[in-house]
Amino acid sequence: MAVQAADLTVVAGGRELLALPALRIAAGERVAIIGHNGAGKSTLLRCLAGFMRPSRGQLTVLGQALHQPLSGTELRGLRRDVGQVLQGLHLVGRLNALDNALIGRLGRLQGAAAMRSWLRWFSDADTADAEAALARVGLAGRGAERVDRLSGGERQRVAMARLLLQRPRLILADEPSASLDPTGAQDLCNGLSRTALELGATLISVVHQAELLPLLADRVLGLRQGRLVFDLPTVQVDAPTLASLYASQP
Amino acid sequence: MRLKFTALALAYAALVGLCIATLAASGDLSLGRQPWANLMKSVGEFAYPSFLDVWFGPERLEYRSDDGTVLRVENRREVEANYLWALARATWTTLQIATLGSLLAAVLALPLGLLTARNLHAPSWLAAPARGLLNALRAVHTLVFGLVLVGIVGLGPTAGILAIALHSMGTCGKLYAEAVETLDMAAVDAVRATGAGPGQVFFNAVWPAVLPQFVSQHLYVWEYNMRDSTILGLIGAGGLGLLISEATSLFQWDRLATVLLVVIVMVAGFDAISSRIRRALL
Repeated sequence: MAVQAADLTVVAGGRELLALPALRIAAGERVAIIGHNGAGKSTLLRCLAGFMRPSRGQLTVLGQALHQPLSGTELRGLRRDVGQVLQGLHLVGRLNALDNALIGRLGRLQGAAAMRSWLRWFSDADTADAEAALARVGLAGRGAERVDRLSGGERQRVAMARLLLQRPRLILADEPSASLDPTGAQDLCNGLSRTALELGATLISVVHQAELLPLLADRVLGLRQGRLVFDLPTVQVDAPTLASLYASQP
Repeated sequence: MRLKFTALALAYAALVGLCIATLAASGDLSLGRQPWANLMKSVGEFAYPSFLDVWFGPERLEYRSDDGTVLRVENRREVEANYLWALARATWTTLQIATLGSLLAAVLALPLGLLTARNLHAPSWLAAPARGLLNALRAVHTLVFGLVLVGIVGLGPTAGILAIALHSMGTCGKLYAEAVETLDMAAVDAVRATGAGPGQVFFNAVWPAVLPQFVSQHLYVWEYNMRDSTILGLIGAGGLGLLISEATSLFQWDRLATVLLVVIVMVAGFDAISSRIRRALL
């Protein structure tokens, strides 16, 4: 089980941001979360990533109990296994594509190898992995190019390569395609899905465009004001279901 | 609003008036006895810098007493050629002071700058003293540091190097902190989110982003110190300043013109090189 939650409640500033009686997401599942702004989508994602602690209830992600305070080492261990894809992708602009891909490997390095990574000195095996990952996303031989000189689409692919190097067991994507044109958004979603499949990772994404749901998820969670409205297979999420979720916006 | 501005302008005018009136009352507001003649004489000597004598000077210049006895014979070409050698050595000393002082400042300011950058969230018991130290160093002029250091380490370039380093540390540290504060923190967080440790995050996300700015700021401070170090000779730290002080106290304006030409060429040349490097970096 990738995610297991019971009576998960997040209260901030006297307001209940999230209240889920139960949530189970199996390993390898592809789940999308939809809902209007302020529905609690990002709050849920932040809880799953260990950036926010639930106010009440139990939450276990990849076997790590997140309702208790975590030590620095435990938190780093969790982050190693949780790949995050955010709006804007956030690559290190002045580094080249290969070094950006290798950033995915940082959390997995131990001892002397971790120290060497301070100088961006990686083992031949890691470098070969990064080159292979870049080749897999269609950037073969482009490793030496600085990412701030790549196009938007190419930067997305570098972010995918970084994810491949990280080898997370759970991928969290928070509106990853928000700033992209329709073609770019589709490419990104396809890339994410493919990466999750290759890694055998669970993929949980927050999406706004309904047309992207089939690309990213087999199951859709509809949230409204912090509560679960529906939990359906993607094929059953039709226009009336979406309309009723968004219609009752406060 | 308009009234406040008028009041401020009036207060400023009153201050200026008071300065002039008190200077005039004490008789200090004078241009000397022959300002015009002196100006013409100085400009005339400035217009013929001493180095021209290396080629055009008399080979046999006789100094005579009032009754016509030859006191001393001088080969102007040789004298000025020797002076040029001394000038070259002094220029090198000035360059040494500026270069080593700036480097020392850049290295020493690095930890202080990183501690004071607000977005790196250093513990306040470290950040507050670091900020205080940088402010204090920046507040004290290089010349003041120089005067104190000459008393401690003695006359010579070492005092100059340390003086430059101490004052520039304050400037460098502040510039470093500002560079770090403009960093794209989302990219830094993204690296942290991969499970990287603090050292890995710093060297893989923060350092590559700020290094070009640090280098550019170092070049700027270095260039500034080229100017500053020419003055340090005045207080005995060696270099071009020594020659400037010598020339002014002996009223040798032709030699001062030569020295100033060297200063201008050196600073302008360095400025051209450094701005080209900075453009390439950013």
